[in-house]
Amino acid sequence: MDPVERLYLDALMEEPAVPAHSLRPQLLAGARARRRPAAATASWAAPYAGRVAAMDALLATAGDDDWARVVVEGWTLQELVAHLAAKDGLLAASVGAPVLGPPLQALDSMGRTGDVQAYERARSPEQTRRDWRAQADALCRHLAGLPETALATLDGLEVPVRDHVLGRGLETWIHTDDAARAAGVRLPDPIPEHIRPTADLCARLLPWTMLLAGLDGSGRTLRLTLTGAGGGEWLLPLGVEETTPGEPDAHLTADVRAFCFLLGGRGDPATFPATVTGDRALAADLLRTAPTLSGP
Amino acid sequence: MEAPYDDRLLHQRVVGGDESALGEVYDRLSPLIFGLSLRVTRDRVIAEDITQEVFLVLWERPLAYDPDRGTLRAWLATIAHRRAVDHVRAEERRRVSALGPRLFEREPARLEDGVLAADEAERVRQAVTELPDGLRQAVELAYYGGRTYRQVGEELGVPEGTAKSRIRLALRRLADALAEEEV
Repeated sequence: MDPVERLYLDALMEEPAVPAHSLRPQLLAGARARRRPAAATASWAAPYAGRVAAMDALLATAGDDDWARVVVEGWTLQELVAHLAAKDGLLAASVGAPVLGPPLQALDSMGRTGDVQAYERARSPEQTRRDWRAQADALCRHLAGLPETALATLDGLEVPVRDHVLGRGLETWIHTDDAARAAGVRLPDPIPEHIRPTADLCARLLPWTMLLAGLDGSGRTLRLTLTGAGGGEWLLPLGVEETTPGEPDAHLTADVRAFCFLLGGRGDPATFPATVTGDRALAADLLRTAPTLSGP
Repeated sequence: MEAPYDDRLLHQRVVGGDESALGEVYDRLSPLIFGLSLRVTRDRVIAEDITQEVFLVLWERPLAYDPDRGTLRAWLATIAHRRAVDHVRAEERRRVSALGPRLFEREPARLEDGVLAADEAERVRQAVTELPDGLRQAVELAYYGGRTYRQVGEELGVPEGTAKSRIRLALRRLADALAEEEV
């Protein structure tokens, strides 16, 4: 904005005034009709519901060009949204929530992604957006009545449903970021209260990402410092069976958002900006294997 | 100018679909937005409509706001100002077409008197009055009267291009004058 125009606006705004009656209730009712708020759900599922609302806000601004543009994995935005709906649907199936879209056949992420993408290609992008949002909200509503420790299985991985949902939140965040970049839109981060449990999941995954890449971290301990809003400190035993940390062998400090994105397969581990003290080889192994669990 | 941390957090919450954040933005900024809309339109009902609409834009299209480029207050004010000016222009067009151009006379100094009050506003006002007449009239018509470049030209009896360059020159001088005062 022109600086002088700003001065004028500031000058004009020096005299605040109040409407005859509060417009607040009307405003909030109108807001709900224009854009659906984040689905009401369990507090531990709120980070996921928030990312769904953010993605939906981005999709609301997408034009034909945006929908047809290849965003990531060789998928157009429409195919990417179908992919998110596919994985959300598989988690929904695992916890007994409604599964929308084509009848369930393939039960693995990639197979189901193919099925949902084929189904959605015959529909308009706006319909795909609505289908995805309906699936996500149906899942959120169902999670409101579940204990976070209930076990759920996705792609053969059986863990507390809370961790699957945090994983869905991270994937939705990362793909929203992919789509925002492709469209030249700046995506603000989730609030710190939502980043924190997501970062915690990523930290707890480190023993697994190492192990699945063929490195057993048993007997080793990492001190992890994640900086920025939503960050924190972790002392992590690196054996998957271990629950008690020992003396830290290495101390790794990195930006919390960059760390979550690294686990999600974004960023090059070789050039990942981190400060390391102690066992540098161990830290390098951790970073190199961090993206192991990231799929499309 | 970057937005303060509060703005960023509220924006993050709005993007994440948190309705209560919209309520908080409204509570904090609606008196200013309503006051601005009222000053330009001089119509409480219209000013209420504009105020609602401005906050709905934030809710419906939250990614249109970029905290790196300014405060939430300035962003919302810009939208309100634009809509209020659009309204004033539409009203004038309507009156012109209803009464015929000959019968239409604009209200004298409709926004010049009492538009600016507080200290900061007084500085802007002082700087405006110190402009040479031709520049001052052009700026007042464009910014307070909500006129287009063409309308400013017509009222001042100069071509549109001249009106445009007068307004630009006036704004540059204003910016210089105000920057000098800051020092």
